[in-house]
Amino acid sequence: MASARLTLFWLLALPVLVFTGFFLIPLGVVLVSSFTAPEDGLTLAHYARILLDAYHWQVIATTFRIAIFSTLICVALGYPLAWYLVRIVQLRSWRRACVILLVLPLFTSNIVRSFGWMVLLGRSGLVNDALMSLGLIDRPMRFLGTETGILIGMVYILLPFTVLTIGTALARVDRGLEQAARDLGATPARAFWSVTFPLTLHGVMAGAIIVFSMAISAYVTPALLSGGKVTVLAMLAFQQYSTVFDFHYGGALSITLLVLTLALIGLASRMTRGRTPGAGGH
Amino acid sequence: MAARLAVRALALLTLAYLALPLVVVIGGSLTETKFLSFPPQGLTLDWYRVVLHDPTYVRSFLTSAVLALAATFFALVIGLPAAIAIARHSFRGKGLLSALLLSPLVLPHIVIGAALLQYGSALGLVRNFPALLVGHVVIVTPFVLRTLLPHFSPGQRALEEASRDLGASGWTTFRLVTLPLIRPGLVSGAIFAFITSFINVELSIFNTTAALNTIPVQLFNYVQYSVDPSIAAVSALTILAAAVGIVLIDLLIGLDLLPDK
Repeated sequence: MASARLTLFWLLALPVLVFTGFFLIPLGVVLVSSFTAPEDGLTLAHYARILLDAYHWQVIATTFRIAIFSTLICVALGYPLAWYLVRIVQLRSWRRACVILLVLPLFTSNIVRSFGWMVLLGRSGLVNDALMSLGLIDRPMRFLGTETGILIGMVYILLPFTVLTIGTALARVDRGLEQAARDLGATPARAFWSVTFPLTLHGVMAGAIIVFSMAISAYVTPALLSGGKVTVLAMLAFQQYSTVFDFHYGGALSITLLVLTLALIGLASRMTRGRTPGAGGH
Repeated sequence: MAARLAVRALALLTLAYLALPLVVVIGGSLTETKFLSFPPQGLTLDWYRVVLHDPTYVRSFLTSAVLALAATFFALVIGLPAAIAIARHSFRGKGLLSALLLSPLVLPHIVIGAALLQYGSALGLVRNFPALLVGHVVIVTPFVLRTLLPHFSPGQRALEEASRDLGASGWTTFRLVTLPLIRPGLVSGAIFAFITSFINVELSIFNTTAALNTIPVQLFNYVQYSVDPSIAAVSALTILAAAVGIVLIDLLIGLDLLPDK
């Protein structure tokens, strides 16, 4: 027993030390400064400034809208792609090439990827050229500086995460269960929705949570694709630290972003609880 | 059958969507014009010569690579023991501990970066390599932990006990029994960790200087002023480096991200 405790101590010493010293305490410093002001000590003024102001609510709404749409689209596109890679592709080398293509954007920075979209989505970019030559539009559409443009860039960056988590879950599904459902007379669609899909739901949720949390706190992609016309919460917070140097108001913005993120993730994991595989059906 | 066809079509379109910006960046870097254009007008490697003779780009590239390698190493050193403790031991505050160690995954990197800047300035831990490294270790460790945890299953315990009963030491059991079982998790965790560090802007941006810069931060600063083909060339080089890295990983340890069965 004593040796088990000792093992545990050695296993946890470094993780706890590093995360306390370089994560908990720094965040504590931000929390404290968000509730204080240089002159009047303890104050709620920074939060009042955020929560009693229509502009801030608008920024928060934009941030959430982009994050929620990014998550939905990533799951909607990621599931078919994961299915294709795990179930449909027979040729090993082609699947390998697809996985490399999937991981490749992840290995390149947000900048490189957003930069590609800056070129593609410009007024005379490839996307506008294609849409015009197809006769779908007669004037170039404005993508840069719109939420649509940001969304295209965000989904692009976050999609591989859902494909990987869903694909891993899908690969682990026992196909005998599906076969059993089919043998008992279920249509392929019914077999999918009542057997396969619930078994992969934990992968879907894991991917969705990664995507949502990355989307809500994204800075680079919105900053580059917004052209200064759309503002998200992370951009507002960064301004305070980098150009205004207001650690107190910036801290309050950071804590707001943090609390909103955690609240939504808590809600998401509560929703899936009891629906994970093994927890029993209805 | 129609559903299968639709899934196939949608998947191929999605793959094209994933490839498109990379193709544009690589294509744009080959243009002979002074401004970025795609499709490229003429073909030249001149912009690569410009970039490779620019010492600031070369230095940033090396900084990023060393930083990502070091961060991944420390993330494994911290994440693996933590995963073993959480998966195999019972102790008070376990839920709290795993929440703490995983939370950088969901917390905005901008916030963590700002916090480390504010706190680090009190310790003199700012705008140097250790300051960058500390932040990167904090944000990449959760990737290792998160991908590792699902690979520990209660069933493995029986195998480990069997190994111990047959006389293997704790270390030998770990090396020969536990490690192969969790290898896929370790590999994908390390990949995610490396990626996350290598491409990070949000955290690095607080601690980089003109002399100590990472490649993404340098590009970020550059892209806001001008969009010329040399940026496309640097970007194309990072894509190339990424491709070489992925293929190497695939050949050396197998990129079993999406296993067969």
